[in-house]
Parts: sequence; structure tokens; C-alpha cells
Amino acid sequence: METDKKEYFRKTLREIKNLPTLPGIVTKLTKMAEDPDTTTEQMGKVISKDHILAAKLLRLVNSAFYGFPQRISSLNSAIILLGFNVIKSLIISASIFEIMEDQDVELWEHSLGCAVVCSVVAKRLGLSDPEEISTAGLIHDIGKVAIKMELPQEYEEINRMVQEEHVSRFTAERKILGLDHAEVGGWLAKRWNLPNKLIEPISCHHDPRLAKNEQLSSAVVHFGNIVIRGMGYCHGDDIWVPPMSQRAYRLLDLSAVDIDEILDEIEDKLWDVKGFSLEIQSEQNAASGEDCPP
Amino acid sequence: MQQILIAQADEGMTLAKDVETEEGRVLCGKGTTLSTCLIDRLRKMEVTHLTVEGHPVQDENEKTLPEELQAIEERFKRVKHIPPLMHIKKRLQERAVAARKE
Repeated sequence: METDKKEYFRKTLREIKNLPTLPGIVTKLTKMAEDPDTTTEQMGKVISKDHILAAKLLRLVNSAFYGFPQRISSLNSAIILLGFNVIKSLIISASIFEIMEDQDVELWEHSLGCAVVCSVVAKRLGLSDPEEISTAGLIHDIGKVAIKMELPQEYEEINRMVQEEHVSRFTAERKILGLDHAEVGGWLAKRWNLPNKLIEPISCHHDPRLAKNEQLSSAVVHFGNIVIRGMGYCHGDDIWVPPMSQRAYRLLDLSAVDIDEILDEIEDKLWDVKGFSLEIQSEQNAASGEDCPP
Repeated sequence: MQQILIAQADEGMTLAKDVETEEGRVLCGKGTTLSTCLIDRLRKMEVTHLTVEGHPVQDENEKTLPEELQAIEERFKRVKHIPPLMHIKKRLQERAVAARKE
């Protein structure tokens, strides 16, 4: 690949002009979070001004991949229980995934499913921040959305290569762009000032050996992506389970019994994901019904 | 017997299994015939799915058991050299078989 071309792709994806700008609310909340005098009530108030966003947030917060025993009905408790980083990432995913929901229900399902696996695995390992890890799982493929929005022509080329040459999307991206969605996702997360805890699992989900500080969380997201693909939640023509890093698997140290129980728990929680996609589809059907009356 | 989403439940369907809370408390017993009012109550209690008698919901993407096993085989085709993934594959196939036997 010519260096010029690669540099151009890199620059375009770093600038991300076509992705919807993050809602102003994120900037505002980030500023508020930096001020030690800010209370969660104040933050909750800012979010609740946007009714649609607030409703989406609560829907995500109450979904199976966080698995709180009681229903969280207020934004205040959501902020306290999940922490600001998670809320911020959820606002980001709620806005980014709005495009995905419409255009790519499959990727949305894959992402929600991956979040479920991450949550189950993180809790089984007794990690201290399962909510952050499942959030990383939720947005691990955000780079795919960026490539689709910023480089639509190349995105089509990638799809074609996956379909015709039966290679994985990751391989096709590297061949056509000289970079991949994991790397791009990492840049985005960095640009949005997400903490390292979320950046590394995103940028290293195909190769957790690259993780410097967050090796265990990166291993969990790497494994989450593999398991959910194994369960049939793939994306487009790339149906194959990607290879697993041995080192990551050793780090997770899961026994055969663990695997069985994890699969049980995931299957049960995936019903919530199926409910999510059914809702989206019926919303879409309702919307298209309004557009073109019989 | 079929597992369905609460959104797919309809009056007249019969429960083939107890509906339980996460803690294992029985909300509604096997054999109960669903009414609109009951479905609504279960939904309010955040029940996500039910197991009902027969096969009332048609899903055009639904696979037969051999198709499902073949699909799993295909997905794991490129990671045959990674033992833990082969273990997961085997378990997923066994679960697919078990789910249809119940």
C-alpha cells in the first residue's frame, strides 16, 4: 500500500467529520465532572433535559448486561452506581448507535451481545469494574461505524472483499486501508477523552497482547467478541470466529465448568438483546408505515 | 415447546414451563393459559421470555437442528487449532441439541 494513501485514510479517520458530533451534553458533563463541587443531582438534571437521551440511557442501564438486581429508575442513581465514565460512554454509544440501529441492526446486536458476555465473564472473575468492561464491550466495534461514515467507498470495497475472497473484515480492512477498526476505535475513544480502561480494550480487542495497562479487561473484551461470534452474533459476511490469543486465555484462567456456567448465563441474558432488536425493528416498521401510507 | 420473547406472547398460549424470577421464585406455573392481563403483569415484572406449548411463533430465520449444527461448525472452521475454542464449539453444539430435546 502506498504510504500517501494510508496517510490519507489515517488523517480522515482521525478527523472524523461525518460522524455526528457528540452531543454538547457530553462536553458539558465532562466539564462538570472535573469540578469537585458538582453533585450527581446536577449532572442528572443536565441529562434529563434531553428526554430521548435520558430514556435511552435508562433503558441501557437497566438491560441485562449490567444486571442490577433492582430497577434503576433515576439518572442520579445511574450515575452513582455506574460512575461517570460509564455514563459518558453510554451517551456516546446512544448517539453513535443511533446510526447503527437504523442501518445496521446486526452490528448493534453483536455489540449488545458482546457487552453481555463481557459482563458475565468480568463478574465471574470477580473484577472490580464489570460495568466499565461491559461498556468497553458495547463500544468495541465503534471503529467500524467510523469507517462506514468517513470512508463509504472503501467500506463498500471492504464488504466486497469479505464476500468475494472470504477473508475476515479485519484482514480486508488491513489490506484496503492499512489499518483496522480496532485501531480506529481506540483513536475515537481517546479523542472523546475516555479513560485508558476503555481505550485499550477497544483498540486491542483483536490482539490483547498490545495492551499495556489494561491486559485483563482487554482479554475479557477479546474473549467476549469471540464467544458472541461463536454464538452466531456476527457482522455481515464475516461469519467466522476469530483466533484467540493463548496468552489472553491463560490470563482469564477459565475452567471447563466456568465455561459451561458462563454459557448458561449468557444464553439467559441474550433474551434481553433479542427484546432490544425486536423493539428497534418494530419502531422502524412503525416509522416506515408512517412515511408511506397505503 | 418453544421459547419466545414476552413481546411475542399472546393470549391463549399455554406455559410449558414455570416462569421464575432470577432468584428462582415461581411467578406463574406450568400449564397456565396466558391472558392479556397476565402477559401485561409478567412484562411489568420484567420477565424477558417464556416457554410455551407447541410452536406458536413462526420465525422465518429459524434453523433446523442439522442446519444449526452445521452453522456452528462453519463459524468455528478457522480456529480448529485452538483447543479452548473447540471446547466451546462442542458445548454450543451440545446445547443446541439439548435445547431441541426438551
